[in-house]
Amino acid sequence: MILEMIVFIYLSLGMIIPGILAIISKNPVHAVLWVLVLILHQAFMLFTLGSEFLTAVQIIVYAGAVIVLFLFVVYMINLKREEIWKVFVKKSPLGFVIFLIFIFFFLKSLTFLTALSPHFKAHLPYDLTQGTNLWWIARYLFTHFLFQFELVGVLLLVVVLGAVFLLRKLKEVEGGSL
Amino acid sequence: MVPFKYYVVLSLIIFSIGLLGVLLRKNLIIVLVSFEIIMNGLMIFLASVSYYTKDVQGYILVFFLLALAAVEAGVGLTLVVLVYRKLKRIYTDEVNYYRG
Repeated sequence: MILEMIVFIYLSLGMIIPGILAIISKNPVHAVLWVLVLILHQAFMLFTLGSEFLTAVQIIVYAGAVIVLFLFVVYMINLKREEIWKVFVKKSPLGFVIFLIFIFFFLKSLTFLTALSPHFKAHLPYDLTQGTNLWWIARYLFTHFLFQFELVGVLLLVVVLGAVFLLRKLKEVEGGSL
Repeated sequence: MVPFKYYVVLSLIIFSIGLLGVLLRKNLIIVLVSFEIIMNGLMIFLASVSYYTKDVQGYILVFFLLALAAVEAGVGLTLVVLVYRKLKRIYTDEVNYYRG
């Protein structure tokens, strides 16, 4: 019990502090690396929440692909040093008001959710004595959610084709017009 | 066992950090990074619901969210590179090329 609380507090501090440092850091490379720290802690929080498969997928997909993609784009864009001085937008009070409105609705939904949580019922229950977490995820993913799974695959294909198409087309237009 | 409410509050805090980043930052890349932080908050919430109700749907939604985060990063970074090539700057309050 006490060990679980210590692990939870460590993991949550390891997610909150890098998150705050990521959104206030001036250099985009530092921000992306702080998000990497956040993602590693979140992967182990998913491990404590009982899913080893999602831990592995989180580390592979986020730390291996998405963060590297962000870092490549940061290096490719190559901003000058003096341009990264002012961090926040000019109309930041307006954004802060929108943020407070969101927080109000979040707190309302929080009280609603905690009142509702003893009445949660499992629609697709699983039993860890009959199979591991990965086995149950795979079982439901390839039977009950098969259409959605295929749809996500098509979506990833469309994104790859769209990225290649957009970047190529602009280069042709530039070469033709200049 | 850690109470369910703590996970909800943690996911809310991380969602709020990401939302502040989206609303207040100038750099478009860090806005996209803040979207990733928002998705991480949602993932904690869904996985904790799934853990406390012994239901597998939350884990599957986390799996789909991972795929959608990759999709969002791909499309968003493509658009950032397009904006940078066109305008040579990526700050949200300076990109007013299409303003009427």
